[in-house]
Amino acid sequence: MSKVVGIDLGTTNSLVAYVKDGVPQVIRDRQGDGLVPSVVSFGDEGTVHVGREAQRRLLVDAQRTVYSVKRFMGKGRDDVQDETSHFPFRIGGEGGVLRIGVGDREFTPPEISAFVLRELKHRAEAFFAEQGEFDNEVDRAVITVPAYFNDAQRTATRDAGRIAGLEVLRIINEPTAASLAYGLDKRHSGIIAVYDLGGGTFDISILRVEDGVFQVLSTNGDTHLGGDDIDLLLMDRVLKSNPKAGASPESVQEIRKAVIQAKIDLSDGDETRLNGERFTRAEFEALIQPIVERTLAPCRQALADAGVEPSSIDEVVLVGGSTRIPLVRRRVEELFGRKPHSELNPDEVVALGAAVQADILVTGNRDLLLLDVTPLSLGIETMGGVTSKIIMRNSTIPATGSEMFTTAVDNQTAVDIHVLQGERELVADNRSLARFKLRGIPPMPAGLPRVRVQFQIDANGILSVTASELRTEIEQTVEVKPSYGLTDEQVEQMLLDSFENAEADFAARLVIEARNEAENVIHATEKSLRAPDIDQIEREELAAGERKKIESVLAGLKMVLNSSDRETIQKWTQALNDSTRHLAEVMMNRSVQAALSGKNVNEM
Amino acid sequence: MSTTTPTLQACRHCGAGAPLDAHFCPQCTKILPLSRQADYFSFLGLPRKLNIDAADLEQRFRTLSRQFHPDYFYNATPAERRASLEQSSYLNDAYRALRQPASRIEYLLKLEGMAPSGPAEAAKQVPPALLEEVFALNEELDEIRELRSGAASPEEWRPRLERARQPIEAKRIEHEQQLQTLAAQWDAGGGPAVLQALRDQFLERNYIHNLLEGIERELHS
Repeated sequence: MSKVVGIDLGTTNSLVAYVKDGVPQVIRDRQGDGLVPSVVSFGDEGTVHVGREAQRRLLVDAQRTVYSVKRFMGKGRDDVQDETSHFPFRIGGEGGVLRIGVGDREFTPPEISAFVLRELKHRAEAFFAEQGEFDNEVDRAVITVPAYFNDAQRTATRDAGRIAGLEVLRIINEPTAASLAYGLDKRHSGIIAVYDLGGGTFDISILRVEDGVFQVLSTNGDTHLGGDDIDLLLMDRVLKSNPKAGASPESVQEIRKAVIQAKIDLSDGDETRLNGERFTRAEFEALIQPIVERTLAPCRQALADAGVEPSSIDEVVLVGGSTRIPLVRRRVEELFGRKPHSELNPDEVVALGAAVQADILVTGNRDLLLLDVTPLSLGIETMGGVTSKIIMRNSTIPATGSEMFTTAVDNQTAVDIHVLQGERELVADNRSLARFKLRGIPPMPAGLPRVRVQFQIDANGILSVTASELRTEIEQTVEVKPSYGLTDEQVEQMLLDSFENAEADFAARLVIEARNEAENVIHATEKSLRAPDIDQIEREELAAGERKKIESVLAGLKMVLNSSDRETIQKWTQALNDSTRHLAEVMMNRSVQAALSGKNVNEM
Repeated sequence: MSTTTPTLQACRHCGAGAPLDAHFCPQCTKILPLSRQADYFSFLGLPRKLNIDAADLEQRFRTLSRQFHPDYFYNATPAERRASLEQSSYLNDAYRALRQPASRIEYLLKLEGMAPSGPAEAAKQVPPALLEEVFALNEELDEIRELRSGAASPEEWRPRLERARQPIEAKRIEHEQQLQTLAAQWDAGGGPAVLQALRDQFLERNYIHNLLEGIERELHS
């Protein structure tokens, strides 16, 4: 059987996990690293880098490196115009789906996300192959999204999965996944609040757990609020005091890297240095206070919608890297009057929960059940630009709603329908999901046809529409044109394109592997050359010119390291390996002798 | 020409006859499509009554969720998956409608063919019994709005608005109590007269509810 995994497709980092013998586990690389930075960088000759390598390239080729793409999923160009200036890559696309320009190529956000998903798929497949699994193909996944994601954002995430060649078994909400991972069903019943502040999004969910059923009572949030916003505040601060620091896209990225480090430092320490100046936790907290405050109103709304007092919350769970910030923890604790859980790594807990859900789907295990809700009300446009709600927010999904339509003039055979998502009164203030024309209404006098349009939100939180005319029982054709999404044909084409690019991707992967290998050898050689007794070794054991030779081969390998020619890198790596073999043997012998003579190896 | 109402449905999987209100085929245990005769009460196995024990409803909801949820039909045939989606959607819609007393009454009225005809009837028309209170409230609101447009401080107008709220709030409590009495009468076997009274009270209650919400908005704007 091919494998099923759970994927946390994050704004900053992504992870893949699976369930082994009933226990969810994050799949890590050989170095034990589970996080794949959600960064995609486009090199020369069509090579694509994903993850750590792409993150490194942000400092040397920022304009061809895309990060935080999750902020753009399911969005139009107009939605994000305030922040396009913060990103080194181009953001375009008039009307309809937004496009990201890199060099002379353009990508939609789902295509960029698909590169990250494909990387995770490869990582999992390599892992299963290493485990000696019979069939290591990974072709199905549960992918998580912020609970407050709307229909367009969910659909974009599902499209990304399809473009990456994954069958998306289920889209589940991140806070709900986290609660699954915590195994909070072990205590038989209670009310849980999950506070999830990630890189780009904020969610709050209130759940009731009873007999293994995780029932979401309410959810709220902000899909544009997270660690990224804190970084931007800090970057502005640096640039204000030192405007020259932001001269090039790469130097801006240097600043970004520095402020992220400062932010991390201040989670443990009381002060750090930023831009060469002392930066205290008190200053940091004063700066980010407004961002933390912005998370509290959604929390209060979610409590009110769930009909729960803060005092009746039994457990509080923290999710997302930004919940490591002490100020965030303090404010959450104050609000709920309860110390939050933080036993599990807040970066990993969502992927673990996704793996649990994937396991439920394929095994049919009925011990646990997730009952989630739709975060936003669904409605249609009525006379005067007013939204008429059909399915209310916080309705348990799957859910349905229906509305009757009729005609305004005699023999009218089509009606225009505009579907919206949001809580506001006016159409203009809500999110346009789709417009469609209801066709095939039998010609009748005005007002006589009775067309029932049925809206179905499935367990993924994704909408579908069917319609029928009740007098004639004629099924209507409903062609939904998503306002900010891709059509099925576009997704299919992207999947085909990705196969064509697969060869280039594969070549890029081989280059990266060769480079990693080279870096390991460089690292080991440099360590040997730094040994305190290296001069003595050279005098007593090495041939004349041997050390010089090693040093020059080392320099040569470093020069070719960043080329995209795999064979050259491998040739020089081999050469360095060969020229250091004798030195390695000598050092090994000396350490064995030292150990035998009772000397501590570290003293050598 | 006479038609008899069918009492059985045929299971699409094994062809056995299954009762109309059954969720699964008694013969082959496969999930059945949603019955067209279903209503929210019968679906949950409840009598068509307005007094529902909240804990019992929750328990039924969880038990049926465990039977129908699409999570458990991932490997099933397309027909079973469709049935699971239909059944669990219907269950969630039923749970939502019956959970709150107000939406429960609204659903019962609809089921008994006495649904308010559109939002106009539900909210716009001033119920005769409330004319006096609504007239007084509107006068007060006009004066308060005038005060506010004259840049009066919230300390000046808030207490007045709060005072104007009181009689409406009292009416609301009165209506909720009357609705409870009528609901008990319906549950005890009340007929069309009880239903008609329920309907009138319910429409008035909605009107009051909207009025109070409007005041709430004024208070916080």
